[in-house]
Amino acid sequence: MIQLLHVSKRYPPNLQALTDICLKIHQGEFVFITGPSGAGKTTLLKLLFRGEEPSEGEILLNGQNVNRLNSRGVARLRRGIGLVFQEFKLLPRLTALENVALAAEVVGTSKRESCIRAYHLLRELGLKEKCDAKPLMLSGGEQQRVAIARALVNNPLLVLADEPTGNLDAQVSDETMRLFLRIREHGTTIMIASHDGSLIQRYGTRVVSLQAGCLAADLHRVKKQEGAR
Amino acid sequence: MWSRIAFVARRAWNNLRELFWTHFLTAVAMTMTLFVFGAFMLLQENLQNLLKGWGDQIQINAYLEKNLDTAEVQNLWQRIRSLAEVQEVRYISSAQAWKDFQGALGAQSGVLEGLPKDVLPASFEITIKPAFRDSPLVAGLAARLKKEKGITVVEYPQEWVQRLSLVVLAVRWAKWILGGALFMVTFFIVGSAVKLALLARKDEIEMMQLFGASKQLIQAPFVVEGMTQGIVGGLLSILCLWLLFQSLREVIPSGGLVGPLAQFEFLDLRSAGVILAIGLFLGGAGSLFSLQRFIKTWRS
Repeated sequence: MIQLLHVSKRYPPNLQALTDICLKIHQGEFVFITGPSGAGKTTLLKLLFRGEEPSEGEILLNGQNVNRLNSRGVARLRRGIGLVFQEFKLLPRLTALENVALAAEVVGTSKRESCIRAYHLLRELGLKEKCDAKPLMLSGGEQQRVAIARALVNNPLLVLADEPTGNLDAQVSDETMRLFLRIREHGTTIMIASHDGSLIQRYGTRVVSLQAGCLAADLHRVKKQEGAR
Repeated sequence: MWSRIAFVARRAWNNLRELFWTHFLTAVAMTMTLFVFGAFMLLQENLQNLLKGWGDQIQINAYLEKNLDTAEVQNLWQRIRSLAEVQEVRYISSAQAWKDFQGALGAQSGVLEGLPKDVLPASFEITIKPAFRDSPLVAGLAARLKKEKGITVVEYPQEWVQRLSLVVLAVRWAKWILGGALFMVTFFIVGSAVKLALLARKDEIEMMQLFGASKQLIQAPFVVEGMTQGIVGGLLSILCLWLLFQSLREVIPSGGLVGPLAQFEFLDLRSAGVILAIGLFLGGAGSLFSLQRFIKTWRS
């Protein structure tokens, strides 16, 4: 379970990115964080994987205070979180398979086991034929699926996706969303920062809305999710 | 554990391969530094050997008064023999000294004709125990012998030993001062090479951090790279020193005044180990220093 208790974030000299955010997210929830550009969506996600530290308040992940972790603790925390970015952030020197396997290798999995896991994931995501392709040889949708496979390779309990469909067309965005819903079926918590209204309308089960760094709304919409499935 | 070691080795190897020329030039800089240091080490070791060789030959000649009888000579011999510093005392009679002198002059011994055969004084040749062959101790013993009744003059090669000791000391200091300055330069060269490798891999490091890689796992390949440069630099410098040593040995003639130089010896295993250890340390520490600075800058 994720808990944000009166969390604020200020960037020097005086940019207030988030103000007094209180949120509780249960395991297996599918949550959209939405709001206009500069509302604080990315900052909120960054706080969860300790990409940033809050100026005030506390963040608890399964009862663990994220702010108080040392560098070793942060590394451990991140092993349980899968990250997906708008610009994919795949390493151009590596193949699709190597990109995915690297995420497993760095947490101590053997190269062989990492490659096996990466291959199975890529096959599951329909990229079996693209394992040896370098990112530049892949389409945007394919690159994003590789990035999602990379986020899943360590079986995370939480997936944080920052505008994962921002660089994709409508059809590929739909496929990506369905993929996230499938992942969620395994009990993984999914948090997606997005300002794509139509996607949120179709897939949003819970929508947390931010306005100028403040929590503007927190809507639970069970029916929409069922409809999307 | 093994998978992490394999991962570090693979990454270090890839980095070394991808930035081959950067790493090669750094290893060359390391070689030059360690070569200069090693050359001083070689010089110092051989001077010390020379000094030790001279030390082995150090003997004090104590010349006796002319009118001493056999009992007095015997007493004096026993007193000197009983001194803690003394290993051996050999009595050279006036007749023996004359004979030795004649032998030393060889064909020119005719110049001695007409001189009385007891013109040379009897003497003791005193050999000193190895533990007491330091200059101040030898000088102290000589001073005490001078005070002995029946001894007129005491001689020993003190000045040469002292001068050579000073030269060895100067070489030792030069080795550390010059070597130290070069070590500093090399330290920063290694750091710069690692910084280039870090910049080339910045995106990869960033992703590794986001996946939860430990700080040690991220840093280890770069430290291994630096240490590899150190080892390669160390081995190359030893090879260059050996080539220099061989060519000098061919040039220096044996015998004559430069005879002792022909007995020059190459660095022993311990000294070669010191050169390799310094290379390893410079490479590893230079990398770590650069890593700390880079990661700090990057985070800020």
